[in-house]
Amino acid sequence: MELTTPGVATLRRDPDQRALRDAETADAALAASGDGRAFERLYRTHVARVHSLVRRMVGPDHADDIAQDVFVRAWNKLATFRGDAAFGTWLHRLAVNVILARRTTLGTERGRYDDSADVLDDVAGRPAAPELSMDFEEAIGRLPDGARQVFVLHDIEGYRHDEIADMLGIVTGTSKSQLHHARMALRRHLDR
Amino acid sequence: MKDQWTDRLSEYLDGELTAPERTTLEAHLASCEGCRTTLEEVRRVVTNARALDDRPPAADLWPAVAARIGLSPREKARPVVRRFSFTVPQLAAASVVLALLSAGAAWLIVRRGTVPTAPVAVAERAPVLLNASAYPGDARFDAQVADLERALARGRGRLDTATVRVIERNLRIIDRAIRGAQSALAADPANSYLNLHLAQEMRRKLELLRQAATLAGARS
Repeated sequence: MELTTPGVATLRRDPDQRALRDAETADAALAASGDGRAFERLYRTHVARVHSLVRRMVGPDHADDIAQDVFVRAWNKLATFRGDAAFGTWLHRLAVNVILARRTTLGTERGRYDDSADVLDDVAGRPAAPELSMDFEEAIGRLPDGARQVFVLHDIEGYRHDEIADMLGIVTGTSKSQLHHARMALRRHLDR
Repeated sequence: MKDQWTDRLSEYLDGELTAPERTTLEAHLASCEGCRTTLEEVRRVVTNARALDDRPPAADLWPAVAARIGLSPREKARPVVRRFSFTVPQLAAASVVLALLSAGAAWLIVRRGTVPTAPVAVAERAPVLLNASAYPGDARFDAQVADLERALARGRGRLDTATVRVIERNLRIIDRAIRGAQSALAADPANSYLNLHLAQEMRRKLELLRQAATLAGARS
């Protein structure tokens, strides 16, 4: 799958991003030549983001295992990182690919893309009082698989609908529909 | 309350409606309080999503990752300290190296256009290309260098001795830069500038060897 640069993900940068990117490119080159310490620095920098992506996409139960898989895969594919994009962008897309590949074994593949609004009702029930409002992250976790994955990829990670449709094997219209259903459900769990 | 426009609010928010659709929806919003409220809530969902903080795993995954990729214990865990701390002499040395490399690269580029297309006779005492074993510990780098040097050695007869001398001279400059960076890194392993400098020089060496091997027509 072609590596692309997600929009929002690209925008979430620190002011000294250029220096960080250069240092990470250097670490990636060192790691590609077998330097474990350089790879550990890359791991420390990116583990929170990778783990959060995995947790939001597949839930907490398998997050540790799949996050490990991401870094093992990254180590094995370091030679393909050429520094054209930031290492974080490359790693992020690799992580998405690992997660999507695991959907089959986790039973969250394409067949579970229910396009109806009804399936969101259990998430969408408006809490009786603000203090009962569940955590926004928890609400995301309770979305149906399809709506959750589209929401995470689009609104949190910044991918476009055509990219998401390609990654998930769905049509663009389904991606848009799932996103809207997810947003409609989650708006009931906003802090008030 | 839900109407025919409610399901288009996300597309409106994301700028995915056509101009006529957008105009019509905006006219509708002006008169529909329910849709205005829903639109604002959806907008807040998007804002919340983009503001979510990333959280690390509850337990450190590195030991398991390190074990799975076969790293030995001595290669593990040094605290990550990113800082820029280098001396003026280091910077001066880097400047000199960069200047020399630029000159060498320019010379090679110019020279490249004059390489004969047919093999030429090589003096018996043609210079010997540098040994690849100078950087123990970087196995993949060493392997690539060795591979390229073998390829270059096979096609060396197609280069004139002046070209070989230039290649050697530039390789020596790069080797010195690599050794200097390695020496400095031994004292300050987390120095990001030095890590970057070392990686750049290693890449530069590989690129020079690739170019030289291509010149020699020794690589497929």
